[in-house]
Amino acid sequence: MIEVPKIVYDRLRSPRKDRALPDTGLSEREHPDADLLTAFVEQTLSATERDDMLEHLALCGDCREVIVLALPIADVAAAPTPAETEADRAIPALAKPGRSWLNLAWPDLRWAALAAGVVVAASLLLVHPGRLNQALLPSSNRQVASPAPPVSGAQIASSAIPSSIAPPPEQLPISAKSKSNKVRPNSEMQLSKKLKAGEIAAPHTAQSGMMVANNRKEPLQAGPVPAAPSTGDVTLAASTPPPTTETVEVSAAAPALVQASPTEGNLMAENAAPPVLKAKPPLSVTWTITAGVLQRSLDSGQSWQDALRPNHPLLCYASHDQEIWTGGQAGTLFYSTDGGVTWLQVQPSIKARQLSSNVTHIELRGDELRGDELRRPAQILLSTSDNETWISVDGGKTWEKH
Amino acid sequence: MTKPAQPGHVPDATAALYERSGAAAYGMSAERFAAILDEVVHKYFLSGSAQYSAQRLPHASAQQKADFCAGLRLEELALARACAAGNERAWQDFISRYRQKLHGMALHITRDGAHAADLADSLFADLYGMNAREQVRKSKLLSYTGRGSLEGWLRTVMAQEFINRYRKQKRTVSLEEQTEEGIQFAAATPEPACTSDPRLEAATDEALAELSSEDRFTLASYYLDGRTLAEIAATLGLHESSVSRRLDRLATGLRKRILAALRMQGMSHAQAVEAMEADVRDIRLNLRSRLTQDSAATTFPGSSKIPARDAGDGSTD
Repeated sequence: MIEVPKIVYDRLRSPRKDRALPDTGLSEREHPDADLLTAFVEQTLSATERDDMLEHLALCGDCREVIVLALPIADVAAAPTPAETEADRAIPALAKPGRSWLNLAWPDLRWAALAAGVVVAASLLLVHPGRLNQALLPSSNRQVASPAPPVSGAQIASSAIPSSIAPPPEQLPISAKSKSNKVRPNSEMQLSKKLKAGEIAAPHTAQSGMMVANNRKEPLQAGPVPAAPSTGDVTLAASTPPPTTETVEVSAAAPALVQASPTEGNLMAENAAPPVLKAKPPLSVTWTITAGVLQRSLDSGQSWQDALRPNHPLLCYASHDQEIWTGGQAGTLFYSTDGGVTWLQVQPSIKARQLSSNVTHIELRGDELRGDELRRPAQILLSTSDNETWISVDGGKTWEKH
Repeated sequence: MTKPAQPGHVPDATAALYERSGAAAYGMSAERFAAILDEVVHKYFLSGSAQYSAQRLPHASAQQKADFCAGLRLEELALARACAAGNERAWQDFISRYRQKLHGMALHITRDGAHAADLADSLFADLYGMNAREQVRKSKLLSYTGRGSLEGWLRTVMAQEFINRYRKQKRTVSLEEQTEEGIQFAAATPEPACTSDPRLEAATDEALAELSSEDRFTLASYYLDGRTLAEIAATLGLHESSVSRRLDRLATGLRKRILAALRMQGMSHAQAVEAMEADVRDIRLNLRSRLTQDSAATTFPGSSKIPARDAGDGSTD
């Protein structure tokens, strides 16, 4: 990081008098309360409030200290996932490169990333020369990644990444991995998509370092889940690291409770099975959102793992049994019906108008919620930052505004 | 909805929010819930008190207020207020949701088992309202208004409490300890400005004043507080790389602007560079002592100002 002249430290500490007392009449000694500080960190203040808050925070070391101390543990222990540049991507929190790595790598490794992209393209060509065209077709908005056949390396599903764009630096180690992937598909499009998803996403997990290492779990099996008709950007699914091959760990979406037979996984992958939920969800899941990241605990809150970290910070969630819905800024909305093993994104829209404001509250409603049944909620209610209420009575397929 | 609740009758909009909040499960009546919303609205829109409330809009429309209420964390607000009212089921829910988390938070904040237990216990006592004032049990949860998550609020309250304690401890540190820490006779602190060039100060102030508050916040967090990129990114809801790029841009820009301002005042390039790079570490030491003894603030209830923690102290790298 570039140093600033020492006079800047001095003047930041003891600012000019006319700035020490901002126009709003707020003095440095008049501090925002815990409610506002929390709302600031959770990005739910109104624009005016946020400006005033920043004005105060720029001058007030105490409040700066409070908000950092009050950050969720996961946020300060590890860096967020990279690649803002790939705007339409959502990644379950997989890799958290350290600060020093990030400083080194971005943007210094940009060219290396480009080279890695070329290698990916080349490896696609090598493995399936005839399929390249399909592989390079623009990806559809939604992809459901299914587990790879057992012969392949462990894969993790990621999202649509236009292959014309060079992968970000963290995908550097792609080449070695991609060459070892030998996937034999049934259908062309499925293959190319799978291959792409697997190859491009794998390095993320390979990079995930400490976080992942701590989260090593038994192999798990997750199948594709039904895609909601409304379009979304990304579908996320955890898949199986076959025990005998090199493994890539899924740190986020990996409840350590399930082990399905390889045959099953194979079958599903081969057939690109219709939406069938194969993963047996964890028994007791506790959720929380900390600074925009959905976290899950399988031990009643003693330890937390990141479960979902989309591009836009998450703000709220609602869960019932294994079904969880979570929403955030810019109309971000995901749900999982298997306790967070697999995620689907929903883009609520009404008459071609997409929800673009922040989702500030979610409620799952229905008589079913009263009982112990695992049936799905009858109604999903979203409250948005511009104070609309969106309701879906069909599991997020269609929406009405109230 | 913001009208005072009439017994047996609340407006439809409020009734809908009441239903959404699940307050009924805690035995809270719709009227009571409406009164709570009323109170929250009053705090943020109408309060004439000194409370920090940037959104104070005495003439906000009913619709604005209704919208504001709909954006609150109603479920958590109902839970908090039901706890404050002593509802047993609410407390059970609260304990099952937050007890372990609170202990984890305390450990994270204090980094010391004994202190963590102490801090968590003390917060629980406040939440229960055991520190009775004027013979009336008053739960701290009454001050939660649902602007942010209840969990985030609990963390923030805990952090404030920790800072207050830290500050109190600092004030009772003996003179010998102060000497050991290098904080010498704070009363003898000279005015920091006296040793630096007024032209340089003016140029720097000007350059800083041109920045947005978010930029100044970022600068202060990184350079003054020694925060990590991850921490700053988390507070601003940005990505680390954005913060990193912003800091680079700010540092480069500040240097350029200060140099330009100094040259405008007739300095040669070499003079300007020399003035800018003048070491002000001595000044900073004095500032530190000055901040240490400044204890008149009323930051958080029962607290006053503390010195900035040493760079890197709050980081987890």
